Amino acid sequence: MLAEAHLQRITARINGVEVTRTVAARLTLVELLREDLGLTGTKVSCELQVCGVCTVLVDGSPVSSCTYLAIDADGRDVQTVEGLADGEQLHPLQTAFVESMALQCGFCTPGFLMMSKALLDRVPDPSPEQIAKHLDGNICRCTGYEPIIRAVGCAARRLRGEADHE
Amino acid sequence: MTLPDFALARPDTLEEALALLGDDQVPYCGGTELLLAMKVGLQRPETLVDVKRVPELRGVRSSHGELVIGGASTHDDLSRDALVREVLPLLAEVEAHVGNARVRVQGSIGGNLCFAEPKSDVATTLIALDASVTLQSSSGRRTLLVRDFIVGPYYADKEPGELLIDVRIPLVATRRGAYVKFQVTERPTVGVAVVQDTETGACRVVVGAVGEIPVWRDWASVADIDVEELSSAVDPVEDLTGSERYKRHLTAVFVRRALRDLERSS
Repeated sequence: MLAEAHLQRITARINGVEVTRTVAARLTLVELLREDLGLTGTKVSCELQVCGVCTVLVDGSPVSSCTYLAIDADGRDVQTVEGLADGEQLHPLQTAFVESMALQCGFCTPGFLMMSKALLDRVPDPSPEQIAKHLDGNICRCTGYEPIIRAVGCAARRLRGEADHE
Repeated sequence: MTLPDFALARPDTLEEALALLGDDQVPYCGGTELLLAMKVGLQRPETLVDVKRVPELRGVRSSHGELVIGGASTHDDLSRDALVREVLPLLAEVEAHVGNARVRVQGSIGGNLCFAEPKSDVATTLIALDASVTLQSSSGRRTLLVRDFIVGPYYADKEPGELLIDVRIPLVATRRGAYVKFQVTERPTVGVAVVQDTETGACRVVVGAVGEIPVWRDWASVADIDVEELSSAVDPVEDLTGSERYKRHLTAVFVRRALRDLERSS
């Protein structure tokens, strides 16, 4: 049994749903998401904030959920890849990733999607250089990155309501 | 890599935070250094004292000719802060390129300095800008230049009961500067900051990342800068990003590039 100072009661909105839990101080956000809430879309790999597969948005900003204490999500809004689609309707980023073949094994994809969403929420019309710089902390071993940069650019155009053009 | 067990305190005031700090009760802000050190077993504190709610550690303001940056300000905050962008665009630009976008959202300027990470872009830049840090404990307050605060690799001149409250940078209207770095992994191989007072011509060059702590030199003018002397004065750490000889060569190349960028800056 952990001492009281090691446990805290937190309330966070996770993909729009209010969640209240008593958590250990050492519990990371990704552990809460995957093991308690069953939201296994968020992956874990390097656990050192380097690879980006565990990226989720907290109050709209991208964080490495492997190194983010669940307690720090108290009172905040958390969005994971499960919260990206609108019911059966994929988010434009997801559609663009599929169409541009911006994934192969798919393990890094949730992280790239959330990282890209953070960019487009702040910069609706990013250049390919801005996209590449923003994503330089996410690692993909399948695609060679070019299809991902194209997909994000394509999603940005659609989100701005522009017609597709190549 | 499960974190070891610990207690977490979330004080709302500076007094509460300072009363909680001790040998085994350490400040916790973004966790980008501390939580990693705990994961790999380098540190195992009993209590993390979360300083994010302490008002004195938040925000950026201009006061008595200095830019005062709260220690808990994140790299992302500073890269976008309107005042920083206006009065110190060099710092805003450096902050926009620290680590990766997630590290910038979580990591704070105070934590970056307190951990004295040898490959910190921020420390190199702040030394060039002649910045200082304010440290406070229950028994008092002291001010130290960043170049004196960074004592060694992962070693800053800070007592366990002290908290880094803010970073202060003198605002000099006639100053211009540049920062360039070479980076192939998640941290720079070399980072060079150069700052010049255009009125007197005096300039300071700081070389970071290449050795255990940044090396700095002051010169009366850009023409006096001895690039060869500087590249032989650094003490490179050999690692996967290169040998000593290679890093000395890179140092000379990047000092020249920083000087070229300085000439182009306004």
